[in-house]
Amino acid sequence: MSSELVELLWAEKYRPKSLDEIVNQEEVVNRLKKFVEEKNMPHLLFVGPPGTGKTTAAHALAHDLYGENYRQYMLELNASDERGIDTIRTKVKEFARSRTPPEIPFKIVLLDEADNMTADAQQALRRLMEMYTANTRFILIANFPSKIIEPIQSRCALFRFTPLNKDDVIARLKWICEQEDCKYTVEGLETIYEVSEGDMRRAINILQAAAALGTVTPEIVYKVVGLAHPKEVREVITLALEGEFMRAREKLRSLIISYGLSGTDVVKQIHREIFSPELKIPDELRVLIADYTGEIQYRLVEGADDEIQLNAFIAWLTLLGQKLRASR
Amino acid sequence: MSLARIPWVIKYRPKRVEEVVNQEQAKRVFLSWLRQWLSGKPPEKKAALFYGPAGVGKTSLVEAAAHEYKLELIEMNASDFRRREDIERIAKIAATQSSLFGRKKIILLDEVDGISGTADRGGLDAILELINNTRHPIVMTANDPWDQKLKPLRDASLMIAFNRLSERDVVTALKRICEAEKIECERDALKYIAQRSEGDLRSAINDLQSIAEGYGKVTLDLARSLVVSRDRQYTPWEMLRNLFMSKYAWQAKRAITHTDLDYETILQWINENIPVQYSDPSDIWHAYEALARADIMLARIKRTMSWDLLSYVFDLAGPGVALSRKRSKFRWAKYQFPQKILMLARTKEAREIRNAIAEAVGKRVLVSKKKFLSDVLPFMKILFEERPDYAARIAIAYNLTDNMIKYLAGARYQAVKEHMNMLLLRMERPPTVSKPVTTRESKRKESSRSVRSRSKRGGRGRQTTLF
Repeated sequence: MSSELVELLWAEKYRPKSLDEIVNQEEVVNRLKKFVEEKNMPHLLFVGPPGTGKTTAAHALAHDLYGENYRQYMLELNASDERGIDTIRTKVKEFARSRTPPEIPFKIVLLDEADNMTADAQQALRRLMEMYTANTRFILIANFPSKIIEPIQSRCALFRFTPLNKDDVIARLKWICEQEDCKYTVEGLETIYEVSEGDMRRAINILQAAAALGTVTPEIVYKVVGLAHPKEVREVITLALEGEFMRAREKLRSLIISYGLSGTDVVKQIHREIFSPELKIPDELRVLIADYTGEIQYRLVEGADDEIQLNAFIAWLTLLGQKLRASR
Repeated sequence: MSLARIPWVIKYRPKRVEEVVNQEQAKRVFLSWLRQWLSGKPPEKKAALFYGPAGVGKTSLVEAAAHEYKLELIEMNASDFRRREDIERIAKIAATQSSLFGRKKIILLDEVDGISGTADRGGLDAILELINNTRHPIVMTANDPWDQKLKPLRDASLMIAFNRLSERDVVTALKRICEAEKIECERDALKYIAQRSEGDLRSAINDLQSIAEGYGKVTLDLARSLVVSRDRQYTPWEMLRNLFMSKYAWQAKRAITHTDLDYETILQWINENIPVQYSDPSDIWHAYEALARADIMLARIKRTMSWDLLSYVFDLAGPGVALSRKRSKFRWAKYQFPQKILMLARTKEAREIRNAIAEAVGKRVLVSKKKFLSDVLPFMKILFEERPDYAARIAIAYNLTDNMIKYLAGARYQAVKEHMNMLLLRMERPPTVSKPVTTRESKRKESSRSVRSRSKRGGRGRQTTLF
């Protein structure tokens, strides 16, 4: 069978399978390899920015411990997908009862995005970790260590994943391009690095889409990023500032509902847009808007309704725009 | 205020007795009683008491008869019976014989069961006195005439019962209106509205109008999402009108606490209609900010179960929103159904497909659903929309269903499918095969294809099948 007949997403295809294949995060990888040698490990806490290899390292570690079929000895949970601590508890309980691997005295519970859990849920998680510590080890993954409660941190070996540097990212992208036989310019790859902000997964996703459209040049990269990120976000801001509240509201709605963006996604993109030079407003206004944007984001974290909060935001922008025009 | 917005319950109220829907028994009794009056020989009972559920035609029958027999309709609502001058005005008319050539009169006292308690004791006596002295037919209406205090009225009146209308009656009436208005109406939608109205034609017509005016057509889906059961509470439209017309805090608070809608839905209705009602940007923002604060309160309540905060939700969403109007003039606005709720219903299928893709592919790219939606899906969509040949190979690798491909590729769906079929065929057939295949052989091929394509999903897929 020729490989041309099927094509994987490169984020899967070029994911390192074992610890040896991970090229950066050297210090982390070396410590993890020790666990493989000793066939033992404590609970682990992986922290670091998105796309720096935390999840990959966890899978690679399990792979090296248990071999190709490692996934039967690893319970993969994602805090943002699970319905709460109760379902996590049930799954862990069941998993702890299942059979243990032949040579290693423990199984692994991998809990991704653990910093999405409330403090209460984390307390319950801590008890779970203690309860099943005889034959399970937890690997917790989080972006921010500060969002993990102290008692859990103190029970885990902490691994910090550092942001990937530019050379590493570009070298990897170049390597993939060679494997895939796709055309690129160095500027194109550099652009990918810049727009992906050190997030390897994002960089690879962009690369694959760009390569599918043609030679990977800065223009193609920007085109891909533009296509992936609805330009409506900027339109929402400009429409509101121009006094077109109703149209701004409609755009906003289509972002949330048609694109399936969460309110927080939209707020974050708005925040990015505020300081873009293409938005022509006085700098002191940018600060003012950023302040209110932060307020809205906090409200959404508190569980408020994204449409109502964002409508309040654009209503405020509309008013701001009116005052701005009056002052000119 | 636009003249075009005449409520249909008024526009289409019956002009003739036969146009009143059903209630044949009531009509017969009423007409024979009325004819006695008209022939100059007042019947023994000088008043008739129409009773029955709301919206079944009690008032309409009186109005239709007045129209048909060219009687002057003197109308009074029971709540007016507290005011001396009104009572005296009616009493005077009632006691006066019409002039020889003047129009005959009929007196309608609506909702007499609304008179309540000792405070209205005087009102009840006034009515009884009116009946005693009248020279014109008096018709009273009531939903529930069986209250003890109304006994004197019952004794003095000819009791005429009105039945709840059947679903069919209501549907027929609605259909006539749809035809007259030239509005496209699904029969199932009318049936649904009729069902929910529980025989209350007035509310059914109101529902019909709000859907038709808002959307230009009446479909089952719209009816389902719009029609709420009433239970003497405000409909969302009434709630909004009352809210936005409030001059005082208590009015605004009353408006939003007298509805059956749940709290989130109330906020969504207001969210939708603030800019429909208000025009000034400053008013709009103040109203939104009040609503946003109410929404935060509600979020806190849900998170901490502190239901004693609920009052603040109402303070902000009611008076907070209503009293934000400083510069906008009050206008007769056509309130809209919350688009968010409509769009969520309309996009439900798409969202489910999206989640299914996230579930299927996200597991293999090792990201959560949420991350998949924001980090991976947008780029996958680009591949599917721009490169059908390439997308076909991905679709095969991840075993995507037709619906998923449709979602990802949009207009390029056919193109992706064609490429997939070509690829699958190539997988099947070694390039040397040239002789035609028999039916049995092709059947075997068919079944082996599904097995093989599954085993060809690439690295991870192969691993999992080895368990």
